[in-house]
Amino acid sequence: MSILTLNNISKSFGQTEIIRGVNLAIEDGEKHAIIGPNGAGKSTLFHLISGLHTVTGGSIKFKDQEIQNRPAFEINRLGLARSFQVTNIFHRMSVFENVRCALLWSKGFRYSFWHLLGRQGELNDASMHVLEEIGLSDRAQYPAGELAYAAQRALELGIAIASGADLIMLDEPVAGMNISEAQSAVELIRKVTSGKTLIMVEHDMNIVFDIADRISVLVYGEIIATDVPEKIRANPRVQEAYLGEVPNSA
Amino acid sequence: METLKAIAKKSPIWIAYLAALLGLPLVFDSILAISIFNQMAIGIVFALSYNMLLGQGGMLSFGHAVYFGLGGFLAVHTLILIEFETVYFSIIFIPVIGGVIGLLAAIFIGSFSTRKAGTVFAMISLGIGELIAASSLIFSDFFGGEAGISGDRTYGPTFFGVDFTQNDQIYYVAAIWVFIATLFMYLFTQTPAGRMANAVRDNPERAQFIGYSSRRIRFISFCASGLFAGIAGGLFALNYEFITEENLNAATSGRVLLMAYIGGLGYFIGPIIGAVVLTLMNSLLSNYTELWMLYLGIMFLLTVIYLPRGFAGFIMMHQVAWINNRIKSLGVPYLLIGLPSLVLLAGIIAMVEMSDHEGEAFYYFGFKLNPESFVTWAVVLVISLSAYAGVRAALPQLKQAWESANAVPDSEDPKS
Repeated sequence: MSILTLNNISKSFGQTEIIRGVNLAIEDGEKHAIIGPNGAGKSTLFHLISGLHTVTGGSIKFKDQEIQNRPAFEINRLGLARSFQVTNIFHRMSVFENVRCALLWSKGFRYSFWHLLGRQGELNDASMHVLEEIGLSDRAQYPAGELAYAAQRALELGIAIASGADLIMLDEPVAGMNISEAQSAVELIRKVTSGKTLIMVEHDMNIVFDIADRISVLVYGEIIATDVPEKIRANPRVQEAYLGEVPNSA
Repeated sequence: METLKAIAKKSPIWIAYLAALLGLPLVFDSILAISIFNQMAIGIVFALSYNMLLGQGGMLSFGHAVYFGLGGFLAVHTLILIEFETVYFSIIFIPVIGGVIGLLAAIFIGSFSTRKAGTVFAMISLGIGELIAASSLIFSDFFGGEAGISGDRTYGPTFFGVDFTQNDQIYYVAAIWVFIATLFMYLFTQTPAGRMANAVRDNPERAQFIGYSSRRIRFISFCASGLFAGIAGGLFALNYEFITEENLNAATSGRVLLMAYIGGLGYFIGPIIGAVVLTLMNSLLSNYTELWMLYLGIMFLLTVIYLPRGFAGFIMMHQVAWINNRIKSLGVPYLLIGLPSLVLLAGIIAMVEMSDHEGEAFYYFGFKLNPESFVTWAVVLVISLSAYAGVRAALPQLKQAWESANAVPDSEDPKS
C-alpha cells in the first residue's frame, strides 16, 4: 500500500519550471532514495511534499489525504517529518529543549500555557530517550548552536524523528561529514528509521545503494527511472545522466 | 518534577524578591524614595512584558506603549466610575481592568500583526503605535486630549481600612501586583507555549516542521505580553491618578525598549535590572542635570556596543569564574580599573557640563567649576587624561586576571 503518492506534480518559479510532472508512489515501510545531478529539483520536491512550498499543479496524497498546498505544520501533524540540507535547529536553546519542543505536539500539549514542562515526567523521559538514541545525552544542556557539526546533524535528525512520524524525509543527512562520521550517521539513520518509511536525498552513492530499497532518479525536474538499486545501476538513461560515473562506485 | 524542584531550588530567590519589594519602603521611606519605587514597580512589569515579545519571542515592537496606555486609560475611567458609584469594588483590583484591556487590544491587533516577525512586525507595531497615539488626540471625550484624564483612587470601599490616600499604601498594592505578574511571566516561560516562543524566535521555519504554527505561537506571546503591559498601565493609573496621550506614544514605547535592552534581553531578570537602573537615572539624574537624556543615550549606545547582552549579561559573564571559584581574584583588578574609570567618567561629564553652562560657574562634587577659566579646563583635562592613562595601565592586569579566572582546568572534561 502506498503511504505517499505524487500525482503529476509540477512547480514553477516565475517562468522557470523546476519540477515537471513528477509521479511517484512510496510504499509503506520502504526506504526510498531520490538521486540526481545538482539542480535537478530534489530539494524542491522535498519542499513541495513537506509543505514549505506550494505546488503549481498536481496532487500529493499522504495516508489517503490530499496534502498539497496545506501548511507545513498540518502536514507534520499527520505524521510526516523531515530534516534539512542546511542544519536547521533551534540554536540558542539547549540540545534537550530542541528535542523536547519537537515532541510537544505529538505528546498532545498543543498550545498549552498551563502545563509546566518540568512536571511532565513522561515527556522529559521521552526527550532523554531520543537524546540517548542520537547519542547526545551527555550534551543535553549544551546550547545547540555550540555543538560540533556532526553532532548538530545528529540533532537535526533527532528533531525530525522525535515525534514518531511514520514518514521521515532526510535531505542530504551526511553531507559535509568525513567518512567515519558518515558511517556512524548511516548506522544512526538505520536505527531510528527502522519500521518506518524513509525518503532521502543523498549524493553519496555508497550510502544510497546501502540503505535504499528503491531509488528514483530525478533529472531536470522529471523522474527518469524508479527501481531497485541493481536495475538503477544498469539503467542506460541513468548512466547517461550521470555521465557513467556513478553506478560503479557502489 | 524538574520545574517543581527548580522552583523549590529557586524559592529563596522568589522569597528574597518579595521581601525586597515589601521591605524597600522600610529602609528608604522618604517621599521621593516611595515615588521612585512606584515608578520602578510599573517599569518592572512593563519591561518584563516587553521582553516576552523581544527577548523570548523575537518580535521587535516599537508600539508596546499602546497596551500599557490603553490599559491605563480604561483604568482611570474605571476609577471615575468608582468615584461616581457606577461600579463598586476596591481599587486594588484596578490592574485587572488594565490587564483585560491590554489583552483585548493585543488579541485584536495581534490577529494581523503577528502574521510575520522581523521587519514586517516592527513596521506594523510602529504604524499601530502612531495610529493609536494620533487617535487619542482626536477622540478627546475618551482620552481627554493633550491634558489627558484624571481620577481619584480614594473612592470605593477601603481595603481592610486602608484608604489609599498615601503613596506608600499604593506602593504595597503595586509590590504585590509586581510579584504576581513577575511570577506568572516566569511560569509562562516554563510552559509549552512559552518554550515554543523561544523556538519560533530561533527558527520560525523549523517550528512549522514540528507541528507548530509559528504565527499562532507569536500570537499567544503577543497576547500575554499585552495582558501584562495592561496590568502595568493599571498600576500607572493607580499611582498617578491621571494618564495622558504621552503614556501610549512612541516615546514611551522607546523607553520600555531601552529598559529591556539595557537590562539584558536574554535573561529573565534583565528587564527588572533595566527598569530599576533607568528609573533611578530618570528620577535622580534629572534632578542634577538637564543633560540626563544625553547621558542616557550614551549609556544605551555603550551598552549596545560593549555589553550586547545587557547588564544581566555582564553579570552572567562571571559564571565560569564563579564555578572556578576564582571570582575573588578579579576584585583587585576591577578596583584598579574601576577607580580611574570613575574619575575619567567624572572628568568627561565635568567637561560636558562646563560646555553647557554658558559661562556660569557651578558646583560639581564640591568643587567650583568656572567654564570661563582656562585653569579649570586645564585641571579637568589633566585629571581626565591621567585617569585615562590609569585605565590603560590597569587593563593588561585585568585581562590577565580574567583569563586565568576563566580558564577551564585541564583535568576536567568540560562536557561532563
